[in-house]
Amino acid sequence: MSILPDNIETRLMVAAPSGIQFSTTTNSKGVSCGWCSLASKDDLLPCAALMKSIGARLSTITILQPKAPSAPPPKEGETAVLPTFFGGITSNGKTFEIDYHFDIDGDTLTLVVHVLYGGNIQSLTPLFRCADWPEREMMELYSVVVSGHPDPRRLFIDPGIENAVLERLIPFSTLVNSATTKGLWEKILANKGSQS
Amino acid sequence: MSNFTIPVGPLNVALEEPMYFKVDVHGETVSHVDIHAGHVHRGIEYLVTKRNVFQNLVLTERICSLCSNSHPQAYAMAIEQIAGLTVPPRAEYMRVIADEIKRVASHLFNVGVLAHLVGFESLFMQVMEVREMMQDVKESMFGNRMDLGAHVIGGVRFDINDESIEYLRAQLDRIAPAVAEITHIYNTNGSILGRTRGIGVLSHADAVDCSVVGPVARASGINYDVRVKAPYSAYDRLEVPVHVLPDGDVWSRAMIRLQEVATAIDILRQCLADLPGGPTSCTAERPSIPVGEAIGKCEAPRGELIYYVRMTDSPKPERVKWRVPSFMNWDALTFMMKGAKIADIAIIVNSIDPCISCTER
Repeated sequence: MSILPDNIETRLMVAAPSGIQFSTTTNSKGVSCGWCSLASKDDLLPCAALMKSIGARLSTITILQPKAPSAPPPKEGETAVLPTFFGGITSNGKTFEIDYHFDIDGDTLTLVVHVLYGGNIQSLTPLFRCADWPEREMMELYSVVVSGHPDPRRLFIDPGIENAVLERLIPFSTLVNSATTKGLWEKILANKGSQS
Repeated sequence: MSNFTIPVGPLNVALEEPMYFKVDVHGETVSHVDIHAGHVHRGIEYLVTKRNVFQNLVLTERICSLCSNSHPQAYAMAIEQIAGLTVPPRAEYMRVIADEIKRVASHLFNVGVLAHLVGFESLFMQVMEVREMMQDVKESMFGNRMDLGAHVIGGVRFDINDESIEYLRAQLDRIAPAVAEITHIYNTNGSILGRTRGIGVLSHADAVDCSVVGPVARASGINYDVRVKAPYSAYDRLEVPVHVLPDGDVWSRAMIRLQEVATAIDILRQCLADLPGGPTSCTAERPSIPVGEAIGKCEAPRGELIYYVRMTDSPKPERVKWRVPSFMNWDALTFMMKGAKIADIAIIVNSIDPCISCTER
């Protein structure tokens, strides 16, 4: 069983001069989970380097577009103020949130950065070789650009399909290219025939 | 000697699942490997955001057949953390029982396929026969040979009585000596040793670099097992030895799996001896799941499985992301195959116990 290093918050604060928001929880079995939001995405690489120096392993990367919180309509004559994430990036439903989950000998520490829609993020591959596939997957799911990736090819999704598949609705028939068995089609036609 | 690029796969590299390798060879020696994935990509990460918390328990179990128990387990752990649910002790032991039964069957399957790829068909059948005993256990106790459907949010869906405890004990008593016999063959047989010792070596440094997990990591000297490093369910109350070997070859990976089978049988016996009474679920009704985010981690047969779940005010999760152990292990193949002979490619691919439907989701 392990514990996150005691001074991890202080060290992260030094690595991220723009500011961090840090919290940890420890469950009943003594396993800790830390969350660290970075105010600026530019602080990601120094923080990841710190993770590397304490022997952390990059477990995986999650990317999502958090829904914008529902706000009451602005009063007459006022302009709507959009809520922001920590660090001041607008939460408009399109901003990307990228969570880098690190494993520190059983404990987990997640670095959270926000990237404006259309923005880019530095690749972690110079520090963590295993960031390669998760970042490639990130680029095919959303339109985020990972700069400095050594091999930005598609990972799972065919190059013939437009990218950012999780940003739009793809009807099921389009997804499967309207492919279905002849038997199913004949059954539908037969049923239709019996009703008309 | 000339250089060629040969296609390996996508079908029937080691198993039926599709993965395509573009292999550059110099004569008969592999010089470079390029992996092309995506043949069974199903977009399940999108689907989970269209189903509610409880439906997803069913969906995640269907991501993969061999580690089908680990997916709902890690997912349920994350949800339970968000909802602040405490799984009752009996259910924690039951989760370990389901987990270890799956581990025995999964590891034996992989080790059996190794014998098949070596061309040692009688050993393949012997291993599969032993695995079949565990398949019988699954079918008798859970009603299914692959998807156990063991989990609910906050506990387990099944219970065992004295009769099934006796049955499981008797099956373990039959399986344990058979596994010992198989382990002895893998330890001493010339055909097995000749095709697996020193083949597909992954050094400790490369293993750390690739961040491999599970038996692949432990066969390269990395002492990491989620059951010990980040205990969950009842593992904090059970004795779980972690097996580590230094050489990182195909043989070491097979031996780690066989040793873990023996350990899993021992853990099952510990569970049956210590099994506490009480409820099997912390709530009879479906609990309400608040807003929040959490991470659930467990040791699937292939290694660390991690789930990240984000709940907002909707009953459907805003995002569920999971990373399966095989996802990390593919990259290590480029190191394992460098300098290997073409004839060993299938054996090396099988040695990471690849799970493609897991990897591509």
